[in-house]
Amino acid sequence: MIDLNVQQLDEKRILISGIPTVLAAMLREMPEILELRDTSAARARLYPDPTAGNDKINQEWHQMTQPELRHLFVSAGETVGRDLTALTTDKEAGDVWQVAIPIEHVPAWMSAINQTRLILGEVHKIDEEGMNRTDFDPKSAADMAALRIHLLGYLLHLFVELDARYGAEDHI
Amino acid sequence: MSPSIETGQPGVIVVGETKAKDELATPWNVIVHNDPINLMSYVTMVFMRVFGYARPRAETLMLEVHNMGRSLVWSGGREQAELYVQQLHSYQLLATMEKSVT
Repeated sequence: MIDLNVQQLDEKRILISGIPTVLAAMLREMPEILELRDTSAARARLYPDPTAGNDKINQEWHQMTQPELRHLFVSAGETVGRDLTALTTDKEAGDVWQVAIPIEHVPAWMSAINQTRLILGEVHKIDEEGMNRTDFDPKSAADMAALRIHLLGYLLHLFVELDARYGAEDHI
Repeated sequence: MSPSIETGQPGVIVVGETKAKDELATPWNVIVHNDPINLMSYVTMVFMRVFGYARPRAETLMLEVHNMGRSLVWSGGREQAELYVQQLHSYQLLATMEKSVT
């Protein structure tokens, strides 16, 4: 039973608590996975064409927007990497972890978590069927990637719920 | 744009200007495509943030993406369409734009 929770701690901080050890390990792996953003498969997904087949527009678009977008993605990953150095065990709750992060880092966390999920999906070629599977073979790299995508997705969903509760403009 | 200088034919001015006006007037559609990874709740949140849509409309569009594979989420001028596509890409959604056929 996972008792993962994302809540506003005070006016300036968010507490992510009840992080099981397996998810804590996945979070620590995020910076390494994000380094794969420049592989061809991940690049095509993170920087998609803006039109279906207009080569001129697509080429100009990539020249104009890709550096800015990459900077945004890299910056989000670096922010999360720094925040993760404060990941500690929650002594009261037992074998779980927690981390407090500044509220203004929430968009970076959402971006980095989603980047990680998308990169894992591209690198391991996970499709709709792969995402819908419920039996995971521990020996299969693709299955383990799908499991990571689901667990990180659960955390991302909690951030989305937090956003819905407090509103993007006023609080996050 | 001054086609009369290039051709010296007054009639071309009308054709050229009409074409330019048509180009400007033709709306561009912003399309969001389904992908297996992005969460439904996340896509809804992005539609609310980027377009300022109320939750019911954002959810309807998200479900259209999920069930139909794509959804036309906005239509209008080209510059604004480009801005929206850029924003959607910054949230890692698969978005394209295309000139409206109507």
